[in-house]
Amino acid sequence: MTNGRGRAFLRLLAVQGAWNYERLTGIGLGYAAEPLLRDLETADPARHAEASVRSAEYFNSHPYLAGVALGALVRAEYDHVDGAQIARLRTALTSPLGALGDQLFWDGVVPATMGLAGAAVALGLGAWPVVVLVALYAALRLATGWWALRLGLACGMRVAPALGTSWVPRWAPRAGLLAGLAGGLLLPVAGRALLAGGEGPALGVAGGILAGGLAAAWALGPRVTAVRYGLLVLGVALLLAWGLP
Amino acid sequence: MPIALYRVDDRLVHGQVVIGWGKPLDLGFIVLVDDGVFAAEWERDLYRMGVPPEIELRFADVTEALRQLPAWRADPRNGLVLTGDVQTMAALVRGAPPIERVNLGGLHHKPGRIPRLPYIYLTADELELLRSLAANGTEITAQDLPTSAPVALEGLA
Repeated sequence: MTNGRGRAFLRLLAVQGAWNYERLTGIGLGYAAEPLLRDLETADPARHAEASVRSAEYFNSHPYLAGVALGALVRAEYDHVDGAQIARLRTALTSPLGALGDQLFWDGVVPATMGLAGAAVALGLGAWPVVVLVALYAALRLATGWWALRLGLACGMRVAPALGTSWVPRWAPRAGLLAGLAGGLLLPVAGRALLAGGEGPALGVAGGILAGGLAAAWALGPRVTAVRYGLLVLGVALLLAWGLP
Repeated sequence: MPIALYRVDDRLVHGQVVIGWGKPLDLGFIVLVDDGVFAAEWERDLYRMGVPPEIELRFADVTEALRQLPAWRADPRNGLVLTGDVQTMAALVRGAPPIERVNLGGLHHKPGRIPRLPYIYLTADELELLRSLAANGTEITAQDLPTSAPVALEGLA
């Protein structure tokens, strides 16, 4: 396996592009595996055919860490690991790659970036901090994806200890702390900026949203999530904005 | 305390289980009943990485699960018992009663399986096995997350 890493990495950026309920991101992973498996086509055509089919089977993980699985599964094909073992590795990787990726990015870096960007705007620093933070986020995402692919390709079936001792499990919980810090910074700073013009109406609206959220959570339980309630509040705000002159 | 959820999910331990159900059920432990995972240390290492420290992840094969289920039910913490296929769950239901409810959380495409819901694919044999469990008093419903509506077994035919 000498070629195809760059093409595989670029294809991994769209790993969710063919997402469907039957295979989730399996088709995307198979598409990304194709350049990496080309050398196998010459060396062992029968194995290449089996590997190509296996590469597009059902799979799901955090998209930014999918490269760990892609690399490890492709490396296992070149190492002539038994197909049943490769299938087990594929299933077993969904859990840690999903959980660690969610913890690191969706619950950590993303809300931290949003909190810092919002705080910067509320402090009157303009749009540049937002641009810089988005650029930093994109750089981290690309670097993580490239690292993940290289780790998987280097380790194959031995990827479990390599992933377990890598920076990802160490930093995933810390990313959540960073998100909490950024959120804690954003709330008072944004509140101060929003209340600067007229405290009365803004305080009333904030109190109403808070009371409504608490009442909905009490009445409806876990069916009320932060995202659903936030979207409902946003929808009501838009209706009021359109309906009022 | 009774086990809070008996779940069948071929993705085994993943976000829907740990976060989706784990938080509302306030889970203290998850038991993964799978002969293959129980026998392979590298697989157990991977699954441990997907679980936060406040939730204990245990592993068992069917024999061990049948022996340990009374102790898990007596555990004061909320627990979730997870299998990757219908056959393993059926062995638990028949071998360690009472299991009053079984949740189908995710069974995905395989040759021979027919889509019943977007997240539930079943062969005719799997459906028949589930019907036999239901006939003996176990309530079978499909529900991927607590926020979605449960679908009764009759709705999967």
